[in-house]
Amino acid sequence: MTVTAPGPVPTVRNERWHYAPLDEISARMSRSVAPSDGAPASLSTSLSPSLIDALIGAAAGATGPRIVFVNGRYAAGLSDGEGLPAGVRVGVADTGLDNGSGAAAVTVDDRVRVEEPIHVVHVAVPDAVDAPSVLSRARTIVELGDDTHLAIVETFGGLDGATTPTVTEASTTIRLGDRAELVHYRIQIEAPTATHLGQTHVDQGAGSALRMTSVTLGGDIARNAVDVHLDAADAQTELIGINVTGGHQRHDTVVTVDHAASMCASNQRFTGVVDDHGRGSFSGEIIVRHGTSGSDAHQASRNLVLDRNAEADARPWLRILADDVRCTHGATVGRLDDDALHYLRSRGIPFAAARAMLIDAFVGDVTDSIEHEQVRHHVRALVAATASTASDQSNASNASPHPARSVEQP
Amino acid sequence: MLHIADLHASVAGRTILDGLDLDVPTGEVHVIMGPNGSGKTTLTNVLSGRDGYDTSGTVTFDGIDLLPLTPEDRAAAGVFVAFQHPVEIPGVGNMYFLRTAVNSVRSHRGLPELAAVDFLGIAKDHMARLAMDPAFLSRSVNAGFSGGEKKRNEILQMSMLEPRLAILDETDSGLDIDALRVVAQGIERLRSPDRSMLIITHHTPLLDAVRPDHVHVLQGGRIVRSGGPELAHELEAAGYGTLPIEEAV
Repeated sequence: MTVTAPGPVPTVRNERWHYAPLDEISARMSRSVAPSDGAPASLSTSLSPSLIDALIGAAAGATGPRIVFVNGRYAAGLSDGEGLPAGVRVGVADTGLDNGSGAAAVTVDDRVRVEEPIHVVHVAVPDAVDAPSVLSRARTIVELGDDTHLAIVETFGGLDGATTPTVTEASTTIRLGDRAELVHYRIQIEAPTATHLGQTHVDQGAGSALRMTSVTLGGDIARNAVDVHLDAADAQTELIGINVTGGHQRHDTVVTVDHAASMCASNQRFTGVVDDHGRGSFSGEIIVRHGTSGSDAHQASRNLVLDRNAEADARPWLRILADDVRCTHGATVGRLDDDALHYLRSRGIPFAAARAMLIDAFVGDVTDSIEHEQVRHHVRALVAATASTASDQSNASNASPHPARSVEQP
Repeated sequence: MLHIADLHASVAGRTILDGLDLDVPTGEVHVIMGPNGSGKTTLTNVLSGRDGYDTSGTVTFDGIDLLPLTPEDRAAAGVFVAFQHPVEIPGVGNMYFLRTAVNSVRSHRGLPELAAVDFLGIAKDHMARLAMDPAFLSRSVNAGFSGGEKKRNEILQMSMLEPRLAILDETDSGLDIDALRVVAQGIERLRSPDRSMLIITHHTPLLDAVRPDHVHVLQGGRIVRSGGPELAHELEAAGYGTLPIEEAV
């Protein structure tokens, strides 16, 4: 299987880039340079196994075999193949890009079933403090044979407090054999100065099942594009996602599910929390091809807007070219419930804690549905930390002499 | 304990409380009755620190000026409001909520926080006395609770937070006879010489069970008449319409 080539440079006329700040993205890409060979010397002490432990949530118990890439290049010293089950191969594949990058390749033989997640980690780091930003190509290839089961945690991380920007152009290619089952977590927690352009392309075999959870927290401008092709009958796909967007972050989620075969089921459930000057957008496309029957396609986008300067956009985009279809879609954008906030505070719970409880309740739909317990704890902690940071920034920018009045009126 | 003087409150330019005066001494149970629209719920909202009201006048609690305090600081100081319509909060577990509330108030009072296990034992004791199924702890706050279950949940919170002043806004509304008895017993258990209560109600059955010290009539945003427990029965027999407003002034 070859790596999906990066698409052409988008233009504003491309619907899939409707909400993206294209001029800024183009400018950042053109200012960036290819990464230098090897791990940047100035950062080599930061790039330790403990950094990887922190990124994948080892504290929450999320451990296991891992393959690590730094700026698109395989980092043998940070990777750990210990405990890899028989029938699962993790290695480095050629990307076809003539820049030293490699692709993380995870292959599962027919009839091999593995419950414990395998970690693929892509770290984006600046070359040096005052160097130009680095443009990395992060590549992952996942191939599941027939009658397989696998869980993958794909983490895109950076260095805490990195002030020199990085640009990551990430492409993940997934192929599921017949009756293959993949649980895929895509966790993007890059540094606050990072630009992340992510693309996940999935082809599903007959009777296969994908359950993908996207967690988009990091970066300054970050995109998470997911394309799922239901190419054979009876395939099921469940795409779940959350973005927590504060500061001046832009998080753009673009999903396409293409029902190219009959009797397939898809469900998209995306949740956004936007705070401060953050802007989160969701474009969800459902295509049901001509000549198919029995398609079942659903989409829901829920958004919580925490600040008058924040913005959430949700856009369903349905192209139904068949008759025998069950299809639903819905989008909501709301604020925190003032009555609930007051109720919690009237019981002695401080404003920040009460607010955090309500945000946690809102995102619970996503975090509670993470079936791997350690990953669930890890994601909950990441989301809570990100939401509280976002609200700190928001409260600072709306500093008010009357804390009791700091809840916004419509 | 609670001293309200010349309290005015308006929302969007409409005056609702219009010079309300009220004193609730320590250890006493006072009742406020009044027709719909007389300002009863606004009074509880203002006392709990709800946003959105323009207020003037003074409200002191144990000598503390209450009005500038945040809702959480009022709760920590010992004020509890049982709401007429307790809000449903899907996704926030009732036990997590209760423990966070109890520990927030405890830490404010300089007490150590309760560990989860200790808390659970105490909560179950309280629930048993209120004839509440412990399963309510694992549900979301008030979500899908019946009217009576919500009111019991309010009394549960009140008994666990051990306030010095409890304000109950129509806690007896919509309760069947059994639930009313449980709620009344819950209130009665909390009665103590150093705790005051302000009960807002339309109905006398709760008052027969709780036996208040004083009854006040709120009308047009002011207390227009005050008396003993017999006033409640007088009002029930004759209605608010017969009250000569001048009498109170």
